Amino acid sequence: MRAGFLLATTATIIIAGAYANAATQNVLFNATVSPTCTLTILANGTLAPSADLQSLSSKLAGGSAGSVTLATTGGVDLSVDPVATVTVPGADASVTTWTPTYSVAGGHTVAETAGSTTLGAPGLSTVSVHLVGTKGGSDRFAAGNYQATVTVRCE
Amino acid sequence: MRIAAAIVFLLATLPALGQSMSPMRGVVTAFADVFAVRVYPSNPYDHRIRVEVRVYDQKFQPVPARVTPPSFMLGAEASRPVLVVVPFEGAASRKVRICTESVPFPDQQTQIRAQICGKFLARRM
Repeated sequence: MRAGFLLATTATIIIAGAYANAATQNVLFNATVSPTCTLTILANGTLAPSADLQSLSSKLAGGSAGSVTLATTGGVDLSVDPVATVTVPGADASVTTWTPTYSVAGGHTVAETAGSTTLGAPGLSTVSVHLVGTKGGSDRFAAGNYQATVTVRCE
Repeated sequence: MRIAAAIVFLLATLPALGQSMSPMRGVVTAFADVFAVRVYPSNPYDHRIRVEVRVYDQKFQPVPARVTPPSFMLGAEASRPVLVVVPFEGAASRKVRICTESVPFPDQQTQIRAQICGKFLARRM
């Protein structure tokens, strides 16, 4: 009787010991977020002529900047290309120098620049795109329709 | 058939909504004189846009790559795969930019072309 009680007690201790030795394991979760960039054009820009007709600019009264929403995970470069596609009226035979620039506000802050900017942090921002066309000497913009394309690049 | 046999690794990242192109980075290993990358341009707008896919080198000079399809209409918030096959042209490795370009609002005075470029490095074994 006494031996039986001792055996039962020992068995209980062994079982309890078995539970105490139950192992725990960690389950790992890994993720890699690659650089991504979305450009969504909200509005194209408008150019206005200067009083002396030597400048067409989105910064003058009557002009407006183009607006682009940028969403990124960071690790991307933002830039604008030199203007390559321009349509001018037939009466305009003189050379125009086109200068695109941009600034960024919101999740990122970038002062107006024509160069490339690295956006290291993630965020949602608004890119304002300006364009200025200038003529030198006695050259003037002619009556008619002008159209220019500015390329905004995120890479 | 030759090109199909030469394609060793395809970057088959699944497309994600709201991106203009994915992936934007990649490393490719190939055993032939060409390598292939699959990218997924997407349209974040609520209207159809024309999308063009172009390939440039590090100096933004055009690369004679085979892009299938090079230009197409993409529906609102849609994405589709584009296969890009690039020749090594005798080099042991090559860095290229694959760019998705679109002018979503054409026929206005100052148009903005959105260009999303991915950078890809390919090594020839």
